[in-house]
Amino acid sequence: MSETTSLPQIPTSLASLRESVAGQSSSTRALLLMAPLIAFELLVFVIPFLILLRISFAEPSSDLIYEPGTWSVEAYAGVIDNILAFELFWSIVSYSFLLGIVVTVVTVALALFYAYAIWRATGLIKTLLLFSVVLPLLTTLVIRTYAFSPLLSPTGTFNDLLLSVGLLSDPVQFVPSTVGAVIGQVYIVLPYAVLAIYSVLATMDWHVVEAARDLGASRPRSVVEVVVPQAMPGIIVAAVISFAWSVGAYAAPGLLSENITFALYVEELLLGDLRYPTAAALSVIMLVLMLVTISIMFAVLNRFGGDFDLA
Amino acid sequence: MSEITLHDLEKQYGETTAVEEVSVEIEDGELLCLLGPSGSGKSTTLRMIAGLETPTSGEISINGDDVTDDPAYERTTSTVFQDWALFPHKTVRENVEFGLKMRGVPADERAQRAESMLERVQMDGYGDDDPTNLSGGQKQRVALARSLAVNPDVLLLDEPLSNLDKRLREDMQIELREIHEDLDETFVHVTHDQDEAFTLADRIGIMDQGELIQVGDPDEVYENPKNQFIESFLGDTNFVNSRVTRATADAVYVDTDLGTELVLPTDAEPAVDEGTALTLSLRPEILSIDQPSADGGTAAADASEQLATDGSSRTAVTGTVENVVYRGSTVRYSADIDGTSMFAERTDASTGALSADDQIRLEWNGADVLAFREDGTRVSL
Repeated sequence: MSETTSLPQIPTSLASLRESVAGQSSSTRALLLMAPLIAFELLVFVIPFLILLRISFAEPSSDLIYEPGTWSVEAYAGVIDNILAFELFWSIVSYSFLLGIVVTVVTVALALFYAYAIWRATGLIKTLLLFSVVLPLLTTLVIRTYAFSPLLSPTGTFNDLLLSVGLLSDPVQFVPSTVGAVIGQVYIVLPYAVLAIYSVLATMDWHVVEAARDLGASRPRSVVEVVVPQAMPGIIVAAVISFAWSVGAYAAPGLLSENITFALYVEELLLGDLRYPTAAALSVIMLVLMLVTISIMFAVLNRFGGDFDLA
Repeated sequence: MSEITLHDLEKQYGETTAVEEVSVEIEDGELLCLLGPSGSGKSTTLRMIAGLETPTSGEISINGDDVTDDPAYERTTSTVFQDWALFPHKTVRENVEFGLKMRGVPADERAQRAESMLERVQMDGYGDDDPTNLSGGQKQRVALARSLAVNPDVLLLDEPLSNLDKRLREDMQIELREIHEDLDETFVHVTHDQDEAFTLADRIGIMDQGELIQVGDPDEVYENPKNQFIESFLGDTNFVNSRVTRATADAVYVDTDLGTELVLPTDAEPAVDEGTALTLSLRPEILSIDQPSADGGTAAADASEQLATDGSSRTAVTGTVENVVYRGSTVRYSADIDGTSMFAERTDASTGALSADDQIRLEWNGADVLAFREDGTRVSL
């Protein structure tokens, strides 16, 4: 899977590593307990990332994928120049971010409603709602995403439905289009976002919402004043998952849209053009941009309440 | 003016009836305690007054306005919750200001009022604190300040003291009482603790199994309970099984498990027939404790006394002390009276202390004994 979901793990794993070494230096037991995790992170994340970093600083080669043993910032210069000149790389990066932002906003809004509904439901309805969140995860992502093609195409089910009830006079081309990519990507990340928010809501005391209403807050107001601030840790996790996954989205835009995202373009650079240093440099730049964006997101969302600790 | 009228209030959850035909008029400025065991429907009744539950049927009016279908945020009531339900992500001051914020009060006026409310509950200086760091008693005060800040017509208290330890609870009871006297607002206080109800209430409403059984002044419900449940719930008592042997115009004679016949003086001939089973209640405070003279029981030991002309009748029984429980301010003696266990209390432990296996003599006035039929209803004597 070429999805870049593991991107935000860098600060987390490093921070927890540092914390465990510094804060609990007296306890070697903690470090021992962490050893398997550290080994795993080193093997599948840190070492491959260092290799990627090394390739990004290599010179391009005419007959190899890169020139081994060379040092150069040529690949970075090329990508940055292209972005600053608003050329191809700019449009790819900006489209990826746009897709990420739209998907994140839609997903978090839907997930908040859905999680609230699960929280308030009781008995069989609650079980059904929870089950229906997890159900899509039982099917492989590619099939789930492909299924939107017949559903959203101009001759598909959704258009037929809208035409038959008279909401549309002409069929709309949902796929391939950005709308299709957004729908597909929202569908992919929604379960994770719902579970992230629900896990926080489940620990919340309903009396607090009642207290707000008792003191004069209308239903929507009580949600804004009391539910959202307390659910903020869950909302932040949901937003980070949605954003990181969607900026690096591969399957949904690949199958449901004709626009090229960063992940799709990296694939083309690697497998089509064989320009490894450029692909690696673009990846590193995207990684930095996303870390910056996520940090800003943390800072902004934290202002709206919740006591979420970054570390 | 904030009187509340509940009329035939009923709440059902599926098949279960939580509250059944509750009707009561709560007077302006009164402190009414709804007292009952858990599951008696007292909290549900309170929540219906607050607008947090919708009644299945019946009517609620506040100041003569029917508010039955009004949501909580449109009512002029304010609730203090059992778990206080403070907003954990807001500071103490923001908690207290919340109701005013919802009413669109300007920020500086809000802050001023919040500060004076915190002062009133002796929490001034805590405004910037995080409520999750406060102790139970402090949270309770903040919750009270938050509810009082909106100047409600009716303050509803849903067992707010039950999570506090005994000492703190008693202090808060006195404080609540003082706040109520200061504000002259209508309070409805729900509790399962009869001591709390007696300390606080102007009137007590006793609930059992969803029904409001009796409403009255504290001394009235204690001395004149409507049924056996109230008698047993309001304090410890000795229940003694008996059967009517004879009913005359001025007394009912009953045969008891105590091995002696008792005389219950009456004002008017009661509606009991010979052979009717009655449960008698002998509260410890009507029993006086004595040591029978060692030289073989007194004459009164097992005799049913003659009815005195003033309508009183002294009766006494003797038995053996089974155990002595020292309870601080009182000493409780459990005694075996002809196979039936009874207890009595003494506040003065030093004089004539009795110990296990000593002979004990319990004496009371027959007019102080309450009698209940098998269905729990009281026999008016």
